[in-house]
Amino acid sequence: MGFEKFGKHGYVSHAKVAPIVDYLKKGELAGTKCLECDSLYFPPKADCPKCRSTKFDWVPLNENCKLITFTEVFFAPPEFQKETPYLLGLAELEEGPRVFAPIDSRIARDYLKPGALLALHPSTNENGAFYQLEKREQNYLRKQ
Amino acid sequence: MGRVGIIGVGHSRFGKRSDASLRELAFEAYREALDDAEIDTSDIDASLVCSATHYDKQRSPAGVVAEYLGLNPAPTFNVEAACASSAVGLRTAWALVNSRLHDIVAIVGVQKMTELSSEEIQELMGRAGDVMWESPFGTTMPAYYAMYANAHMARYGTTQEQMALVPVKNRKYGTKNPKAMFQKPVEIEEVLKSRMVSYPLKLYDCCANADGAACILVASRNKVQKLSDRPVWIAGLGLASSPMSLAGRTGPMTSFQVTKNAAKEAYKMARVLPRDVDIAEVHDSFSITEILNYEDLGFARPGTGAKLLEREETDLGGRIPVNIDGGLIAKGHPVGATGASQITALVKQLRGEAGDLQVDNAKVGLAQNIGGIGMYAAVTILRG
Repeated sequence: MGFEKFGKHGYVSHAKVAPIVDYLKKGELAGTKCLECDSLYFPPKADCPKCRSTKFDWVPLNENCKLITFTEVFFAPPEFQKETPYLLGLAELEEGPRVFAPIDSRIARDYLKPGALLALHPSTNENGAFYQLEKREQNYLRKQ
Repeated sequence: MGRVGIIGVGHSRFGKRSDASLRELAFEAYREALDDAEIDTSDIDASLVCSATHYDKQRSPAGVVAEYLGLNPAPTFNVEAACASSAVGLRTAWALVNSRLHDIVAIVGVQKMTELSSEEIQELMGRAGDVMWESPFGTTMPAYYAMYANAHMARYGTTQEQMALVPVKNRKYGTKNPKAMFQKPVEIEEVLKSRMVSYPLKLYDCCANADGAACILVASRNKVQKLSDRPVWIAGLGLASSPMSLAGRTGPMTSFQVTKNAAKEAYKMARVLPRDVDIAEVHDSFSITEILNYEDLGFARPGTGAKLLEREETDLGGRIPVNIDGGLIAKGHPVGATGASQITALVKQLRGEAGDLQVDNAKVGLAQNIGGIGMYAAVTILRG
């Protein structure tokens, strides 16, 4: 139990990687690292498809990333209709993994070009915890 | 000559079929295919019922469909690969026949989508992607394809006006297909002014949910030679997969690697090149998808797919006519039936039975069918 608290509306309750919710609630971005072959997974994986190991550790991640592509959703599933329109993005973290995440609605649409500098920042809402793509400056200011 | 051939095809009317149930839709296509092949139900050794079963009220629909068509006690089972279900059904049938387990197999692609309530449809729509890592942020089917569209626009300068040429072309041909859901053409301005669904895709850039069925009858070489005086042979089959999560994929998101992989396999097996294809059916679930498909199938260089539309090269009379039965955008997209519908259109062309829409001297036909948000793609090459 517990994974339903990941995201803005959770569909899945049971997962070995449910502790990601606790990290995000603490404001920490964490992935998993395979203890056998050192492969880094984000979103986290409890199992390593490369070496079939099931031993892993949670590791902190650098939040800096670059945008690959985005969209703005106007026609949404029922649980998200009150938020329309909203932005969704695909970005690549400096450490390599890609992430699919909502984009902060305060970002100007014309900033959203491939390669735009962003940060993946933990956040919380009434459902639980999630992460979203923000401009790096905003992220910097929030931490002060 | 191939080892497995198509001896009959059938196609129901697609659209909001409030007059018919799932099994009745299947019967429309099945009956037409048997008449086309001039065989009886007793000749069929097995049936594959292809459907994305989460859209159907009937659970495990092969059970009722085989019963209603009179196909018991021959083997039957469901084949599911989202929007590519019946293309994967054709591949499965090829293997069953080529292995000599069966001689004649019926592939019945069928879907009944419009009796779901709009709440049920929207709820399903929200789970089109990876339910652990992507659906919790409010993804939709159009949103995923829109992200490819934005990447293609940013990298190559593709415009919304160019994308609009896809529905304009396909709806034009839909007016000549009495089985298509949409019978009226659309203008570029109507497409551009239609309601935004997921930027940059608008309502007319998107295919519509529909009800419908299409049926293909395949047979071993011996049976084909006995039964058919105008056989169409399965020359090439390609099927590939990609990560379902968008974050699991690589590259700049301006092409579908899954289509490229499936196409490579199909071209190799059929021993043809993209330029040898006389007529194609590609998966135009969205306007941008048809443009990416041109590039991924090798009909155009990367970034130049929209130019084929501007130069009318994919129209009837052009270098390689594409979706001149209307495609998903004009026919509607009854998910499980779409792959078999594409094959039906190609078979008619390769037999020279396409009437006003006949492509001169069509010998090689290609169908490309994407499953879901691009986790599956099938490419099938037929020879007349």
